[in-house]
Amino acid sequence: MNILKILLVCFYFISVNASGEYFQAFSKEALLKQQHENKGKRWLMLLWSVDCPPCYKELALLRDLRKQYDLWPIIIINTDDNDDISEERAQVIKQFKLDDLLNLYFVDSQGAYNRYSIDPHWHGELPRSYFIDEQGKVMGQSGLLNKKLLLAWLKK
Amino acid sequence: MIKIPQQLTLILSIIVLLNSTVYAQAHDHKMMMVESKANSCKTNDIICAKTVTSAFAPNGDLWRVWALNQGLYYQISTDNGMNFSDVVRVNIAAEKISARNENRPKIAFDNLGGVYLSWAMPREKKYTADVRFSYSADYGKNFSKPITINDDNLLAGHSFNEMLVKANGEVNLVWLDSRHSYLKRMKGEKSTGSSLYFAKANPRNNDWKFTNKALAQSTCVCCRITMDFNKKDHLAIMWRHIYGDNIRDFAMVTLDEKQVKPYRVTYDHWYINGCPHQGASLSVDTNNRYHMVWFNQGDKGKGIFYAYSDNQGKTLSKPLSIGQLSAQAAHPYLHHNGKVLDIVWTEFDGLTHQLWHQRSTDNGETFTLAKVLAESNKGSDRPFIVESKGKNYVSWHQPKQGHWVYKL
Repeated sequence: MNILKILLVCFYFISVNASGEYFQAFSKEALLKQQHENKGKRWLMLLWSVDCPPCYKELALLRDLRKQYDLWPIIIINTDDNDDISEERAQVIKQFKLDDLLNLYFVDSQGAYNRYSIDPHWHGELPRSYFIDEQGKVMGQSGLLNKKLLLAWLKK
Repeated sequence: MIKIPQQLTLILSIIVLLNSTVYAQAHDHKMMMVESKANSCKTNDIICAKTVTSAFAPNGDLWRVWALNQGLYYQISTDNGMNFSDVVRVNIAAEKISARNENRPKIAFDNLGGVYLSWAMPREKKYTADVRFSYSADYGKNFSKPITINDDNLLAGHSFNEMLVKANGEVNLVWLDSRHSYLKRMKGEKSTGSSLYFAKANPRNNDWKFTNKALAQSTCVCCRITMDFNKKDHLAIMWRHIYGDNIRDFAMVTLDEKQVKPYRVTYDHWYINGCPHQGASLSVDTNNRYHMVWFNQGDKGKGIFYAYSDNQGKTLSKPLSIGQLSAQAAHPYLHHNGKVLDIVWTEFDGLTHQLWHQRSTDNGETFTLAKVLAESNKGSDRPFIVESKGKNYVSWHQPKQGHWVYKL
């Protein structure tokens, strides 16, 4: 009985830690790493801010789709280059149950630099999404994505 | 003591190893969060502020205001921004204050030593806030207990406040207000965007009744409003509106007896179900010409544009492209001081933020060549122009570096 309890406790800790907040600072290197790791795959980069109400709708849509379907890799990037909101952004990602995905965030006071690293033609409007296909071709889109488009792209 | 079989010990060892690996990742994350917090500013110095708002008082003093740690702070310069006084905390009770990007505290003055402050105070639910106001009759020594301007008592969005104060102390406030969309949602109905609200009062005359008035519905929810008094002392207001299915162009209204409906003043056709985070700038000259700059990313117009209107926005001059779109030209601001019209904006080349400037001495008919005024290799706040005694100054805050004031 005691051994069983120990095992249960161990498995509990594994599951808790594995689903914990997983944030990394955005950098060119982190982006290149993702490009490398997802080579040959279809994947999506979704950018959001705590100051963007439509972004929350998009995060909710993603949460719902993930419950229903097996999806291609998704990377979420928070564009608030502001350390003051670090707890808030973690709460939001946890709230939408997206904390098991790779979550990157723009470094304090380096928002423009980080933005430019992703796309020099993007002016910061949100939500912003980048669809990357199996050949590595990138398509950027601004504004809230609709379910049909997202599913058509992401469903395996 | 519990006896554990050898096979089970092996299983547990693997579990612990796996667990420690996962824990190390989580631990690294926590360390990163702690480090980033440790690196963040802890003082109330302006260098720690994300946004700064500046304005000249009628006596020529330059005030700059910022929000940190649930407080409002100010400094005064008597030499046009060369040197500033010690930092003073506005003596009001601590409360949350929005101070990011397009949404920031405002300061204004009357001609009788009055100092006026307004800001948005975030409430307990996401995207809810109240527009707040406080007033000093003695040039900042004492401030009134803040009051809430929005009169709906709803836990809804009221923010992106702008304020202009007349010489006699008449306070004019506008803001984006989500009470209508809130009430529609409560009824299970769909709503689009926010609403534009207006209120005025004169606390100097003991008139604190900021009666709220809706001016427009279906406004963009995350772009600043801009306004100025026209030649007849009527308030002209410009904001980003939502036309049809998420076309985000600009609208304008003048609060006079003639205009019933706002005019649509831009036709760049920016379709986005999202947040542009870029409002416009409006300045009315002594001939009642309305000068305006804006940013759009529409299929009919991309980048910064300047235009003027001689009929309060009913028709505009042909929009003139400003700055280099390929260099991320953004956040334009303009001001006409009765003699010259100045436009400033920022650009970014991947490494350096640049503050750019163009001037017109013929009321917007022609402009000088654009030139760089300053550079920053870290952050960049939006630039603004403030006027004192017929001269324009640019105010540009660079978070973690400092606030910069320069005579144009």
